[in-house]
Amino acid sequence: MRTLDEVRATLQIAKLKEEDLQAVTHCLSFGENASSGDYSLMELDDTLCRHIEAGKSLTIRGDKDEHAVLCSEDKTYDLKIADTSNLLLFVPGCRTPDQLGDHPKHPQLVHAQIWGYASSYWELKRQRPKLKKLKKLLMESPYTGPPVGTEEEAPENKFTMEDFLERIQASREEIEAHLQKIHACEIDGYWRILDFDYDLKLLGHVTQLVDSESWSFSRVPLRTCLEDPCSLAMAQMLLQNAVKFNLSEFQEVWQQSVPEGMGTRLDQLRGLALVDRNSRPETISLLRVEDLPEETLARFNALFSMREKWAHDDIEPYIQDLCGEKQTTGALLTKHARSSMQNGVKVYNSRRPVAT
Amino acid sequence: MVQIVISSKAGEGPPEWLLVELQGEMVSRQNTGLAGNLMGDLHYTKEGVPVLIVGHHILYGKQVKLEKPFAVLMKHSGLPQDDEVAMESSQEKPTAYSVSALIKKKLIFKTRPKPIITNVPKKV
Repeated sequence: MRTLDEVRATLQIAKLKEEDLQAVTHCLSFGENASSGDYSLMELDDTLCRHIEAGKSLTIRGDKDEHAVLCSEDKTYDLKIADTSNLLLFVPGCRTPDQLGDHPKHPQLVHAQIWGYASSYWELKRQRPKLKKLKKLLMESPYTGPPVGTEEEAPENKFTMEDFLERIQASREEIEAHLQKIHACEIDGYWRILDFDYDLKLLGHVTQLVDSESWSFSRVPLRTCLEDPCSLAMAQMLLQNAVKFNLSEFQEVWQQSVPEGMGTRLDQLRGLALVDRNSRPETISLLRVEDLPEETLARFNALFSMREKWAHDDIEPYIQDLCGEKQTTGALLTKHARSSMQNGVKVYNSRRPVAT
Repeated sequence: MVQIVISSKAGEGPPEWLLVELQGEMVSRQNTGLAGNLMGDLHYTKEGVPVLIVGHHILYGKQVKLEKPFAVLMKHSGLPQDDEVAMESSQEKPTAYSVSALIKKKLIFKTRPKPIITNVPKKV
């Protein structure tokens, strides 16, 4: 280990004056295991830093052929390795002037070891998790009702939350939020999505009950949770069976298909159906946002190949879920589309040639 | 799919280490590797400027607060221990990481190293 005399000698050769320097000198050396590569550096944002200081853990998730992601309990980050042309040394025992406090009168040596070094680090970027797979897994065995008699449902193709965490590159809270969004429910510890016909049957039972008890729909607190799914289910059933529907005919049939007193408004169908106001007569067709590609460029390609020009109001429900944390649909359109005026209305078309 | 956990110790949070950043590479004189070798002397001027003497060079640097702090992760490999029976190797412990420390500031030495001339030849 270096001695004070050796350090002083070096200072002299380097023509540095002791009186210009603070009393504490750190003699740095490489620790025995410094080259072992056991350490990695990971760049953090404020949220993650506080997360770690609170003692919470993080999980890296990914298949061999996927890009790895890092998940906290409620956020997902893309993980990449960033190279630098510099050398980064980690020195646990080294203090900075503000930490050294009172200056001792006499020169002092502190022997500090370099425990490791790196020239690359893990870079994290917040991203929108890929959750489309969730519905796909749930659709492998939709729930069709409780088992009849003594037969039990086979446990294959049924998933618990822990199963999802092993298959989906997302955080627990993001998965839970998505499960709510797609109206999945937990039955006997497994997450299930209701088979469409069974769902319709249930809605039918409930509305029949409300009807038979002569409860007014506007009084029943169920209205908020019943009106939308009921109307939507009816709309979907009608639209599923035809490529296009005459808009005014559809609106009539739709109103008649739902229980009396229940509202049917076109704005309820945002993200489920698309109205064409340029055709004569005006038409409506089924277009569900969940049937469209998950990836941003592929999504825009699909939308522009079915319709060349879109008004903001029409395209918004189909790109809303692509927006980043603080991004608006307007910003997204500026990035991926070109705008022009048509009949006094601003419309968007593709920036690149679209394969039809 | 693989799930690798990065754990942090609950309690007061991980310790804070200092990062020293140098431009370029560092090689040991005899190419025997860096481990166990002396690196240099780190001084601070009265104004708090860090000065590093490495080999024949003086490097002047500055203290910088990191815009994005680093976590220092230590890898715990999932390989079975040597003394375990070969048949048990199918039960490998998964690879895991733990947070050893956080780094919130660094000393960065960017100025060109000033060579220290030790032997000035006498004028003939």
